[in-house]
Amino acid sequence: MMWEGLAIGLFSLGIIGFGFFWVIRMEYYLGYLWWPYPMLFGIGIVVLSLFVMDSGWSALLGVTGASFIWGATELKEQAVRAELGWFRRNPHPKPLPPFAALIRKIKAPHL
Amino acid sequence: MLQTSGLWLALATFLSIWWGHVGVRWLEAKSVDIRPPMVALIIAGLILNVAALFAPNVTIGGVCSVVGIALWWDAFELVRQDRRVRHGHAPANPSNPRHARYLAEGKATLHDPLDREPSDPMVDTQPSAHREPEVA
Repeated sequence: MMWEGLAIGLFSLGIIGFGFFWVIRMEYYLGYLWWPYPMLFGIGIVVLSLFVMDSGWSALLGVTGASFIWGATELKEQAVRAELGWFRRNPHPKPLPPFAALIRKIKAPHL
Repeated sequence: MLQTSGLWLALATFLSIWWGHVGVRWLEAKSVDIRPPMVALIIAGLILNVAALFAPNVTIGGVCSVVGIALWWDAFELVRQDRRVRHGHAPANPSNPRHARYLAEGKATLHDPLDREPSDPMVDTQPSAHREPEVA
Protein backbone atom coordinates (compact mmCIF):
# COMPACT_ATOMS: atom_id res chain seq x y z
CA MET A 1 0.00 0.00 0.00
CA MET A 2 1.07 3.57 -0.74
CA TRP A 3 1.18 5.26 2.68
CA GLU A 4 3.21 8.23 1.38
CA GLY A 5 0.18 9.67 -0.43
CA LEU A 6 -1.88 9.65 2.75
CA ALA A 7 1.04 11.20 4.66
CA ILE A 8 1.18 14.04 2.10
CA GLY A 9 -2.58 14.58 2.52
CA LEU A 10 -2.22 14.79 6.31
CA PHE A 11 0.75 17.13 5.88
CA SER A 12 -1.43 19.42 3.72
CA LEU A 13 -3.97 19.56 6.55
CA GLY A 14 -1.25 20.61 8.99
CA ILE A 15 0.38 23.19 6.74
CA ILE A 16 -3.01 24.79 5.90
CA GLY A 17 -3.76 24.91 9.63
CA PHE A 18 -0.40 26.65 10.13
CA GLY A 19 -1.47 29.01 7.32
CA PHE A 20 -4.44 30.26 9.39
CA PHE A 21 -2.02 30.97 12.26
CA TRP A 22 0.58 32.94 10.28
CA VAL A 23 -1.99 34.88 8.21
CA ILE A 24 -3.61 36.21 11.43
CA ARG A 25 -0.20 37.07 12.95
CA MET A 26 1.21 38.64 9.80
CA GLU A 27 -1.85 40.82 9.25
CA TYR A 28 -1.77 41.90 12.91
CA TYR A 29 1.91 42.87 13.06
CA LEU A 30 2.74 43.80 9.45
CA GLY A 31 -0.54 44.46 7.62
CA TYR A 32 -2.05 43.16 4.42
CA LEU A 33 0.20 45.28 2.18
CA TRP A 34 2.95 42.68 2.70
CA TRP A 35 0.94 40.12 0.66
CA PRO A 36 3.40 39.87 -2.30
CA TYR A 37 6.18 38.54 -0.02
CA PRO A 38 4.51 35.31 1.16
CA MET A 39 3.25 34.89 -2.40
CA LEU A 40 6.77 35.15 -3.85
CA PHE A 41 8.06 32.89 -1.06
CA GLY A 42 5.43 30.29 -1.96
CA ILE A 43 6.21 30.52 -5.68
CA GLY A 44 9.92 30.16 -4.82
CA ILE A 45 9.23 26.97 -2.82
CA VAL A 46 7.22 25.50 -5.72
CA VAL A 47 10.07 26.31 -8.13
CA LEU A 48 12.53 24.74 -5.67
CA SER A 49 10.41 21.57 -5.64
CA LEU A 50 11.20 21.12 -9.34
CA PHE A 51 14.88 20.61 -8.50
CA VAL A 52 14.45 18.13 -5.63
CA MET A 53 14.98 14.67 -7.07
CA ASP A 54 12.99 12.74 -4.45
CA SER A 55 9.29 12.84 -5.41
CA GLY A 56 8.13 12.70 -1.78
CA TRP A 57 10.15 15.74 -0.68
CA SER A 58 9.22 17.55 -3.88
CA ALA A 59 5.53 16.88 -3.12
CA LEU A 60 5.88 18.25 0.43
CA LEU A 61 7.55 21.40 -0.93
CA GLY A 62 4.78 21.80 -3.52
CA VAL A 63 2.07 21.59 -0.84
CA THR A 64 3.98 24.05 1.37
CA GLY A 65 4.47 26.52 -1.49
CA ALA A 66 0.79 26.40 -2.46
CA SER A 67 -0.27 27.03 1.14
CA PHE A 68 1.89 30.18 1.27
CA ILE A 69 0.41 31.41 -2.04
CA TRP A 70 -3.08 30.86 -0.60
CA GLY A 71 -2.10 32.60 2.64
CA ALA A 72 -1.01 35.66 0.66
CA THR A 73 -4.51 35.86 -0.85
CA GLU A 74 -6.06 35.71 2.66
CA LEU A 75 -4.25 38.74 4.09
CA LYS A 76 -6.60 41.35 2.63
CA GLU A 77 -9.75 39.59 3.86
CA GLN A 78 -8.12 39.10 7.26
CA ALA A 79 -7.56 42.89 7.43
CA VAL A 80 -11.27 43.45 6.74
CA ARG A 81 -12.24 40.81 9.36
CA ALA A 82 -10.08 42.65 11.93
CA GLU A 83 -11.70 45.97 11.01
CA LEU A 84 -15.16 44.44 11.44
CA GLY A 85 -14.15 43.35 14.95
CA TRP A 86 -14.21 39.63 14.19
CA PHE A 87 -10.50 39.42 15.08
CA ARG A 88 -8.22 41.47 17.34
CA ARG A 89 -7.09 44.62 15.59
CA ASN A 90 -3.64 46.15 16.01
CA PRO A 91 -4.24 49.87 16.68
CA HIS A 92 -0.62 50.85 15.97
CA PRO A 93 0.67 51.85 12.54
CA LYS A 94 2.26 48.97 10.70
CA PRO A 95 5.67 48.93 8.98
CA LEU A 96 5.73 49.76 5.29
CA PRO A 97 6.78 46.83 3.11
CA PRO A 98 9.61 47.34 0.62
CA PHE A 99 8.21 48.70 -2.68
CA ALA A 100 5.01 49.80 -0.89
CA ALA A 101 4.21 52.41 -3.55
CA LEU A 102 4.27 49.72 -6.23
CA ILE A 103 2.26 47.25 -4.11
CA ARG A 104 -0.48 49.85 -3.50
CA LYS A 105 -1.01 50.08 -7.27
CA ILE A 106 -1.78 46.33 -7.49
CA LYS A 107 -5.16 45.09 -6.26
CA ALA A 108 -4.51 42.58 -3.47
CA PRO A 109 -5.77 39.15 -4.60
CA HIS A 110 -8.31 37.10 -2.67
CA LEU A 111 -10.20 33.87 -3.29
CA MET B 1 15.43 16.41 -15.47
CA LEU B 2 12.87 18.36 -13.45
CA GLN B 3 10.83 16.69 -10.70
CA THR B 4 7.18 17.66 -11.36
CA SER B 5 5.68 15.93 -8.31
CA GLY B 6 5.80 19.18 -6.28
CA LEU B 7 4.17 21.16 -9.07
CA TRP B 8 1.24 18.70 -9.30
CA LEU B 9 0.81 18.71 -5.54
CA ALA B 10 0.95 22.52 -5.46
CA LEU B 11 -1.79 22.68 -8.10
CA ALA B 12 -3.92 20.11 -6.24
CA THR B 13 -3.47 21.98 -2.93
CA PHE B 14 -4.24 25.43 -4.33
CA LEU B 15 -7.28 24.26 -6.34
CA SER B 16 -8.58 22.32 -3.31
CA ILE B 17 -8.30 25.44 -1.15
CA TRP B 18 -9.90 27.56 -3.89
CA TRP B 19 -12.82 25.14 -4.13
CA GLY B 20 -12.97 25.07 -0.33
CA HIS B 21 -13.64 28.81 -0.39
CA VAL B 22 -15.63 29.46 -3.57
CA GLY B 23 -17.31 26.08 -4.03
CA VAL B 24 -18.38 25.64 -0.42
CA ARG B 25 -20.00 29.12 -0.39
CA TRP B 26 -21.86 28.25 -3.60
CA LEU B 27 -22.91 24.79 -2.41
CA GLU B 28 -24.12 26.08 0.97
CA ALA B 29 -26.08 28.91 -0.66
CA LYS B 30 -27.81 26.52 -3.11
CA SER B 31 -28.56 23.66 -0.69
CA VAL B 32 -31.87 23.74 1.15
CA ASP B 33 -30.48 21.08 3.50
CA ILE B 34 -26.68 20.93 3.92
CA ARG B 35 -26.66 17.32 5.13
CA PRO B 36 -26.85 15.58 1.69
CA PRO B 37 -23.85 17.53 0.26
CA MET B 38 -21.96 16.91 3.51
CA VAL B 39 -22.49 13.15 3.18
CA ALA B 40 -21.49 13.30 -0.51
CA LEU B 41 -18.27 15.18 0.36
CA ILE B 42 -17.40 12.75 3.17
CA ILE B 43 -17.95 9.73 0.87
CA ALA B 44 -15.95 11.34 -1.98
CA GLY B 45 -13.14 12.14 0.47
CA LEU B 46 -13.14 8.55 1.74
CA ILE B 47 -13.00 7.14 -1.81
CA LEU B 48 -10.07 9.41 -2.70
CA ASN B 49 -8.12 8.57 0.45
CA VAL B 50 -8.61 4.83 -0.10
CA ALA B 51 -7.57 5.34 -3.75
CA ALA B 52 -4.42 7.10 -2.47
CA LEU B 53 -3.41 3.89 -0.67
CA PHE B 54 -3.48 1.95 -3.93
CA ALA B 55 -1.98 4.66 -6.17
CA PRO B 56 0.86 3.64 -8.48
CA ASN B 57 3.15 6.47 -7.35
CA VAL B 58 3.64 9.22 -4.74
CA THR B 59 2.34 11.99 -7.01
CA ILE B 60 -1.01 10.35 -7.76
CA GLY B 61 -1.34 9.12 -4.18
CA GLY B 62 -0.54 12.58 -2.82
CA VAL B 63 -2.99 14.35 -5.15
CA CYS B 64 -5.77 11.87 -4.22
CA SER B 65 -5.16 12.31 -0.51
CA VAL B 66 -4.77 16.11 -0.59
CA VAL B 67 -8.06 16.46 -2.50
CA GLY B 68 -9.73 13.79 -0.34
CA ILE B 69 -8.77 15.44 2.95
CA ALA B 70 -9.79 18.86 1.53
CA LEU B 71 -13.24 17.41 0.74
CA TRP B 72 -13.57 16.25 4.37
CA TRP B 73 -12.63 19.75 5.49
CA ASP B 74 -15.23 21.15 3.05
CA ALA B 75 -17.94 19.00 4.65
CA PHE B 76 -17.07 20.64 7.99
CA GLU B 77 -16.89 24.07 6.29
CA LEU B 78 -20.51 23.71 5.13
CA VAL B 79 -21.55 23.80 8.79
CA ARG B 80 -19.31 26.82 9.48
CA GLN B 81 -20.63 28.63 6.38
CA ASP B 82 -24.20 27.99 7.54
CA ARG B 83 -23.24 29.59 10.88
CA ARG B 84 -21.62 32.58 9.11
CA VAL B 85 -24.81 33.19 7.10
CA ARG B 86 -26.97 32.86 10.21
CA HIS B 87 -24.86 35.48 12.04
CA GLY B 88 -24.60 37.88 9.06
CA HIS B 89 -20.90 37.20 8.39
CA ALA B 90 -21.67 35.98 4.86
CA PRO B 91 -24.47 36.95 2.45
CA ALA B 92 -27.72 34.98 2.54
CA ASN B 93 -29.48 33.69 -0.58
CA PRO B 94 -33.14 34.81 -0.22
CA SER B 95 -34.35 32.14 -2.65
CA ASN B 96 -33.01 29.42 -0.34
CA PRO B 97 -35.77 28.65 2.24
CA ARG B 98 -33.16 27.96 4.97
CA HIS B 99 -31.51 31.34 4.36
CA ALA B 100 -34.92 33.04 4.04
CA ARG B 101 -35.67 31.76 7.55
CA TYR B 102 -32.38 33.23 8.85
CA LEU B 103 -33.24 36.56 7.17
CA ALA B 104 -36.67 36.52 8.84
CA GLU B 105 -34.98 35.94 12.21
CA GLY B 106 -33.21 39.26 11.65
CA LYS B 107 -29.49 38.47 12.03
CA ALA B 108 -28.65 37.37 8.47
CA THR B 109 -27.90 39.88 5.72
CA LEU B 110 -27.94 40.05 1.91
CA HIS B 111 -24.79 42.14 1.96
CA ASP B 112 -21.28 40.58 1.92
CA PRO B 113 -19.42 42.30 4.78
CA LEU B 114 -16.04 41.19 3.38
CA ASP B 115 -16.67 42.76 -0.03
CA ARG B 116 -14.73 45.97 0.63
CA GLU B 117 -11.18 47.28 0.69
CA PRO B 118 -9.44 47.43 4.09
CA SER B 119 -8.33 50.82 5.41
CA ASP B 120 -4.72 51.93 5.12
CA PRO B 121 -2.67 49.91 7.66
CA MET B 122 -0.10 52.71 7.97
CA VAL B 123 -2.52 55.05 9.70
CA ASP B 124 -2.35 55.13 13.51
CA THR B 125 -5.82 54.41 14.92
CA GLN B 126 -4.77 54.41 18.59
CA PRO B 127 -5.92 57.45 20.59
CA SER B 128 -2.83 59.37 21.63
CA ALA B 129 -2.30 59.56 25.42
CA HIS B 130 0.13 62.47 25.16
CA ARG B 131 -1.69 64.66 22.74
CA GLU B 132 -0.54 68.28 22.63
CA PRO B 133 -3.30 70.80 23.38
CA GLU B 134 -4.64 72.48 20.30
CA VAL B 135 -3.62 76.11 19.89
CA ALA B 136 -6.17 78.52 18.48
